[in-house]
Amino acid sequence: MKKYICSVCGYIYDEASGYPEGNIPPGTVWADVPSSFVCPLCGASKAEFNENENEKAKPAVSSTSDSHASLPEDISYTAAELSALFSNLAKGCEKQYDSEMADLYKELAAYYNLKSEKINKPDFESLKSLLQNDLSTHFAMANDVAAGQHDRGALRALKWAEKVSLMIRSLLNKVESGKADFLKEKNVYVCDICGFIYVGDEKPEICPVCKVPGMKMTQVGRSA
Amino acid sequence: MHAVRNIRLCTKDCLCLYVCPTGATDTETGQIDAQKCLSGCRLCVDACPSHAISLVPEEYPAQQETSGDVKKALGILSKSKTEQEIAAYEIEEAAETPRAKQLAKAIGMSNRIMAEDLLREAGFMLPQSGEVLKLLNSLVESETSEDFPAAAAEKLIQKLRKINASMKEKTMSKTTDNLLEAFAGEAQANRKYLAFSRKAEQEGHLNAAKLFRAAADAETIHALKHFEVAGKIGSTIENLKSGVEGETHEYKEMYPPFVEQAEAEGNNAAVRTFTFAMKAEEVHAGLYQEAMDTLDNQEEVFYYLCPVCGNIEKVVPGKCPICGVSGEKFIKY
Repeated sequence: MKKYICSVCGYIYDEASGYPEGNIPPGTVWADVPSSFVCPLCGASKAEFNENENEKAKPAVSSTSDSHASLPEDISYTAAELSALFSNLAKGCEKQYDSEMADLYKELAAYYNLKSEKINKPDFESLKSLLQNDLSTHFAMANDVAAGQHDRGALRALKWAEKVSLMIRSLLNKVESGKADFLKEKNVYVCDICGFIYVGDEKPEICPVCKVPGMKMTQVGRSA
Repeated sequence: MHAVRNIRLCTKDCLCLYVCPTGATDTETGQIDAQKCLSGCRLCVDACPSHAISLVPEEYPAQQETSGDVKKALGILSKSKTEQEIAAYEIEEAAETPRAKQLAKAIGMSNRIMAEDLLREAGFMLPQSGEVLKLLNSLVESETSEDFPAAAAEKLIQKLRKINASMKEKTMSKTTDNLLEAFAGEAQANRKYLAFSRKAEQEGHLNAAKLFRAAADAETIHALKHFEVAGKIGSTIENLKSGVEGETHEYKEMYPPFVEQAEAEGNNAAVRTFTFAMKAEEVHAGLYQEAMDTLDNQEEVFYYLCPVCGNIEKVVPGKCPICGVSGEKFIKY
């Protein structure tokens, strides 16, 4: 009997115990688990599970990729990045209860938001290819660099973003395979802290990725 | 450090109203009045049953340095995440079904949060940091668009300049403190080794005596350098003033209670050495004052030092008025 671990949230599927709550009796081997199975904790699809062998030592995304993108020569920020940079600083000011400074940063964030370059008619497919590029190359490289510098803060942010990215890919895969119905009668929540997207009936008690209490997850409404 | 209340956590048990000595917690908006709040008092913080009140500092420490390579690597991802944010919102706009719109919107929100977090770790955590100030300055310089909120940027730059100047001053003064502490230590070591050297000489250990003397001189070199770097050496008139202040403090404030304590403890040797010093410092203060007043006087003056109590006279006395030693023992300067 083997164990399989969810690469997004760390939930472990144990073949010996199955998942009786989801009508998967004990002793069900992984291959026999239906492909519609989703992680009971975070909602990631079956494809996001890996065999639980030294899983802890292995990053969710293999860093074995040889095609490391090279670091840019200079640090420069696009308008879209500046917008995120300033909205991040505005959040920082709110944490310090400084609403005056928060408003000033928000003004800058709004300006750079308008300045951001638009993308020519994107669809879920082109979005997925951008995401795939992160997952196959960018995260591995950034993890290597941050580990080399023993930058724990950067490693933490990368780990969260990587898991959130895996979750988004899992959602986009469902859209691609025509299972867009998976959103039917489900609610969608986004974690304010790490960006994790949860699709389910009720928001989880804590965010499966960053472990913040569920009250910090925002429900995304569905407009008619 | 003033108290702030997180309204989302507040369960309105209102113990903060009972314990606050200034009434700062009693406001209609639920925000604690920072003007009335006593810095660091924390009575409300400890009393609050819902842990909704915390203390917020007025100034934050400098942030951990982020290496340039980490910034670049995180930058690749924050660029990519913001591109995906834009793409997702455009998909939302164009999508035909409510479900596709909903998913695209969630992905847009998620990417913004990821980009923010990555940028935070790429050196932009503290909204008041020097790093942010540098960025704002460079943006203001390069921005030409009329829509650019120049007033907001300028206001932030002013605020950040002020905060960063005060932070820098604080770090500087810490080093000045360290220099003065090192100066005190080295100066003490110099006198200690001279005392040890004399002892070694008396015991006939001439090599040890020599080593102690050399080491004492070495500590003098350190002490003088530390003192100089700390910026404590002024013009002669300033230094004389500093001399008057130091000696006056010693004979008026420092030694009198020392003498009293030594008398109470019956330590006669201590009473004697403290009293000699106290009386001599008073003379020194007077001489410094006189030198200040006659600094431009070109006529040469001689000083005579009592080798027993440290008294200084301008005319050799028959015997020292402080310790009574014969005037013949005085050393001429």
